[in-house]
Amino acid sequence: MRNSMKVARWEVRRNLKNKSFVIGLFLTPLLIIGFGLLGSLFESDDEPTETAVFVNDQIEIYDLLVQTVDNFELNWTLNETTLSENEVQSALEDTEDTAYIFLTGEALESGVIPVYTADEMDSGFSANVQLLAGPLQQIRISQLDLTEEELAIVSSNVMFEETSAEELASAGEDSVISENPFEKIAPGLFAGIIFFAIVMTGMMIFQSASQEKKDKIAEIILSSVTPGELMNGKILGYFVLGMVQVLVFLVFVVPFAVWKIDEPIIEYLLVPETLLLVFIAVLGYLLFAAIFVGIGATLSDMTTSGNFQGFVMMLPFLSFVLIAPVLGNPSGMVAQVASYIPFTSPGVLIMRLTVLDEWPWIEIIIALAILIISIVLFMKLAGKIFKVGILMYGKNATPGEIWKWIRS
Amino acid sequence: MEVMLTVDGLEKSFKDKQALKGISFEVRKGEIMAILGPNGAGKSTTIRNIMGIMYPDKGSITFHNHQGKEIPRHKIGYLPEERGLYKNVKVMDILLYLADLKDYPLDKAKERILTYLKKFDLEGKEKVSMDELSKGMGQKVQFIGSILHEPELLILDEPFSGLDPVSQELFKDEIRNLANNGTAILLSSHQMNLVEEMCDRLFMIQNGQKVIYGTLDEVKTKYANFKCTIRGKNNVRDLEKISHVQRVEVKEESAVLYLDQDVHPTNWLQNLPDYLNVSELKMNRISLHEIFIDIATNKNLIQEAGDINA
Repeated sequence: MRNSMKVARWEVRRNLKNKSFVIGLFLTPLLIIGFGLLGSLFESDDEPTETAVFVNDQIEIYDLLVQTVDNFELNWTLNETTLSENEVQSALEDTEDTAYIFLTGEALESGVIPVYTADEMDSGFSANVQLLAGPLQQIRISQLDLTEEELAIVSSNVMFEETSAEELASAGEDSVISENPFEKIAPGLFAGIIFFAIVMTGMMIFQSASQEKKDKIAEIILSSVTPGELMNGKILGYFVLGMVQVLVFLVFVVPFAVWKIDEPIIEYLLVPETLLLVFIAVLGYLLFAAIFVGIGATLSDMTTSGNFQGFVMMLPFLSFVLIAPVLGNPSGMVAQVASYIPFTSPGVLIMRLTVLDEWPWIEIIIALAILIISIVLFMKLAGKIFKVGILMYGKNATPGEIWKWIRS
Repeated sequence: MEVMLTVDGLEKSFKDKQALKGISFEVRKGEIMAILGPNGAGKSTTIRNIMGIMYPDKGSITFHNHQGKEIPRHKIGYLPEERGLYKNVKVMDILLYLADLKDYPLDKAKERILTYLKKFDLEGKEKVSMDELSKGMGQKVQFIGSILHEPELLILDEPFSGLDPVSQELFKDEIRNLANNGTAILLSSHQMNLVEEMCDRLFMIQNGQKVIYGTLDEVKTKYANFKCTIRGKNNVRDLEKISHVQRVEVKEESAVLYLDQDVHPTNWLQNLPDYLNVSELKMNRISLHEIFIDIATNKNLIQEAGDINA
């Protein structure tokens, strides 16, 4: 164990002194922030184009319209006009983002309000203009001289309210459902980032093992430590590097997120759920690290890696394929089965636990048990592969050979 | 002399090929013991079995001076045949790491690194990245790495391969030096001239079997008969008629006469026939190099010598 620590420390120090690693370390969060800023740049680009809306008001409800526009915070400049419908065409020529609304008694009665727009319009205008329908409808109803009861009935729409059987069962406890959705997502998002970052760093294990083989260092190192110690040291070392990556990431992104998203994110993160989710992420790392270190030891040249090794490298991304079905139905068949398959369970569990209100504890425990047993198993297998593979110079191992090492 | 390492009846097979067929030898304190043999004879396999990088099918490896079954890794220095070091690290860092892995105190290691770098003409290179060093410089750093922790037993697999003559001398002197200071040294090589100059005992191996094992002197008197090289045009038949001549090899203008084991060189020279055409004459023992080539090419020189000896 002491030797493993030494190997781990070495791997950490070696990488932290490596320029390309350090650049990558800071580049990832900066890129994310950069794209975040870029996005808001484009948004602000769109904002200044206000839509000039001219209203020919013959029923005297202009004040009501102004109020409605204010309420919905529409990016309009309202103006009254006396232009007639016949003159509109010439007025709209060579203009942008300009619209004319004709509110006449006639139009109100028929319920079809004519709106003339310039050729170039803000994409949201058609939707926004519909918002005016509500108040206008109110005016139409109030003109009918109905009693207040009748008024209430007419002005309320008919709606279908959907309730699934499950929701029905837990309806009693559902008092907090209106809480901010971000509060629930934050721990899952956090764990997801950790999982992703350390799995990506875990990929470096693969390179490290393969490089060690290529540079023929292994035999020198193995004259001081056992293959098992070397392997564990690598897994541990790259875990620490992964955490460093996460830390740097958080240092950059969290303040940015706090500033950009108007939510007490840090408060949301400091809940017990985060602990379990991070634990799952760490388990996921251990599983993939074991697989990568084993496979890395079978390759002396990455460029000639066969299909088999390439396929193994794709394993962590299986969970991404499942994002849609799992988020679509977090208690469904796909989600449940994927929770029991070790390769997908870390990612899928994190997704499910983030979305689900009620945590299926029995499922979680079974899934974690399967995951932990698989980790132990894969560590053993990786140890066997690593021991033989790391010393086999000059050629890549075939799946057949790997199978033989495992059996020996 | 105190025995440091005993290898007894080592056997190892790869697939259908038996790489080692009962190898036994020992390495003693303060001596240089050489394993010699052509490529693929089993030298590196033997060494890897000793280092626990492979496990023998049969036979035992005993490290004296050490209790317990494990290999006393921190007491052994090892320079493998297939060797390299991390590329993107500084010389000092990698050497300190290697010393740390051997549990050697780091401040002492630092001192020794600087001394050795100076000794090997690498003064001031401790802050240089490994990938800026030439291949020979890299080899020196690897060598320093293997002796840094003052090992009791030093195992060097082909230490001279890829070195220029100057560096070879440096290595040779340092290895001799270490042996004089009490380190047991096991080295493998196929550079006979170097081995001949420095080793105390040797073990020659061919096809995974022992061919010769003994001290250098023993081996020389036993196997290295005299040979006489004559430059000048002579009839092969005439040369063969000379007494004590086992066989004659003729190459263009010169002929090599391999002599019997019990020949007396001065007498033999006096009795050379007058009619020989001699423009140049050389008398020396068959070198290890020749014995080695004989073994590697499966000629019968040793066999004859051995037969006569027996």
